[in-house]
Amino acid sequence: MTSPMTRRDFIRGTTVAVLGASAALGQETAPQVPKTRVVLVRDPDALDADSAFNEPVIQRMLDEAVMKLVGQADPVEAFKRLVRPEDVVGIKTNVWSFLPTPAAVEKAIRRRVLDAGVAEEAVGLDDHTVRTNPLFVKATALINARPIRTHYLAGMSGCIKNYIMFAESQEAHHPDSCASLGSLFLLPQVKGKTRLNVLCALTPQFHGRGPHNFSRRYVWNYKGLIVGLDPVAVDSVGLRLIMAKRRLELGPAQEIPPVPKHIQLADTRYGIGTADPAKIELVKLGWLDDVLI
Amino acid sequence: MVSFTMRVPGCLALAAVPFLISLAGGAVKDLGPKLPPRVLDWKASGDDAVYDRTTLYDYMDGGAEVYLAFGFREVLVRKYADAAGDELVLDIYDMGSPAEAFGMFSCDRQDPEAGLGQGSEYGPGLLRFWRGRYFVSVTVSGNEDKAEAAVLALGKAVAPLLGPDGALPDMLGLLPAAGLQAGRTAYFHDQVHLSNRYFISAENILNLSGKTECVFAEYRAASGDSHRLLIVRYPAAAEAEAAARSFRSAFLPGSDAEGVARTESKGWSAVRSEGRLLAAVFEASSKDEAVRLAAEALRPAK
Repeated sequence: MTSPMTRRDFIRGTTVAVLGASAALGQETAPQVPKTRVVLVRDPDALDADSAFNEPVIQRMLDEAVMKLVGQADPVEAFKRLVRPEDVVGIKTNVWSFLPTPAAVEKAIRRRVLDAGVAEEAVGLDDHTVRTNPLFVKATALINARPIRTHYLAGMSGCIKNYIMFAESQEAHHPDSCASLGSLFLLPQVKGKTRLNVLCALTPQFHGRGPHNFSRRYVWNYKGLIVGLDPVAVDSVGLRLIMAKRRLELGPAQEIPPVPKHIQLADTRYGIGTADPAKIELVKLGWLDDVLI
Repeated sequence: MVSFTMRVPGCLALAAVPFLISLAGGAVKDLGPKLPPRVLDWKASGDDAVYDRTTLYDYMDGGAEVYLAFGFREVLVRKYADAAGDELVLDIYDMGSPAEAFGMFSCDRQDPEAGLGQGSEYGPGLLRFWRGRYFVSVTVSGNEDKAEAAVLALGKAVAPLLGPDGALPDMLGLLPAAGLQAGRTAYFHDQVHLSNRYFISAENILNLSGKTECVFAEYRAASGDSHRLLIVRYPAAAEAEAAARSFRSAFLPGSDAEGVARTESKGWSAVRSEGRLLAAVFEASSKDEAVRLAAEALRPAK
């Protein structure tokens, strides 16, 4: 039986303990294994002076990230590595009123999916009704796009949690700090279909307060996208960002958001991706001021 | 899509029947008619809504457990809008008892006192206070600075409706007074609130539940160092002893016979149990301080 993860583990190994123990052990002697690539792309012009999203810049950011992710020099060719013309593509967005997936991100994804040859009627966008939406029911490919924020139970809402709308019962995933969220990626409607994960860090929320766990005070203009093929690796990077910001703004005592164990368990219990930072290659593109991670 | 357990017609919300209702044991919907129909330039907007323990999920996406972990009964939601379309949302939560209302308030204090009810705080976009068995929040969507005066005026109008005052949880009396940062003390029951206040473990190593009562407090030593104290009251002494063993095993595996160890934060942690109580100290500046604080927390009949 393994010991439970504690605050001391975090302090001892920063985020390593929560995200997989191997990074802390024998790094020099561990065999070389391919790492899971995650791309962080930032641009100071992603938001304008009024914090409105800059669509052309965000399109460019997405393009650069996906090109780097799949090793292509052209954005359309890059997306052709993710979706085929015959695919039915469901873009799982997030419509949470306080911090939804920006329309600029949705448009950028949709545009490139169409550019890759998918028919317009075979591309859909949805959140709350994905379980019954006919397009999502017959989807052969999913693209997962949502903002990053803290969550009172799960610690962090990222790409893993974004699929909770595929669950028959959302409440069934709430116990034990939403430990079972990784299982969502094993549902028949989902399994093996996710082609891209876009964690929007344009305006992340690093702390939650109030009845809806949202306060504008704890949102900042980071102007980034965290993009990867592996939702667990993407969320693992996102968690590092949230923790870094919390340490900076709230102090070391509140660095750790409440129990983000579902990210580790998505790896170790459900095997849907890689949580261990030592097994993740984080590629940073663009603007590096206050990058934090 | 949001569903409501109950809608209160707007015409009732605008009616003034201040003499009609004593709120001491009434339903939260009965507050509606007593609420101001207008606050400065903001007018009541739409119907009031009421959610109970089974429907709270319809109102909150992911936040309901925070309230359900207390004795939450129901919440009345009243919205106000100004000419620009910005919105104030008034939530009045019946938490079942003054202790539970204080607990709900206490777990998330970060802003300056606002002088309302039995305890309050205001920061941009968010007013929170409690009185009697009610916990209240006013949130703003839109221009938070513009809404400040209306938010505070609304709070001043609502607080008198929620009386009488109620008693604080008796567990607060267990906290040693020296160095206590009183405005940072939290009262709660469950692991979810401990984790949000101060992450200890991903597992429930103290076996907290709806049957346990907890106070979490911050202390400042004369040196300026800060440390933390958690006191848990269990239903039975055997549960407190078991929790102390569990904590020692999971969090302080290298602790000495007194249940004390130095941790990676460079501070000292300690755990002790006495009767139904458990005391755990975090980040004390010395072993003596950790031992002293734990012992004081468990001393009988204060």
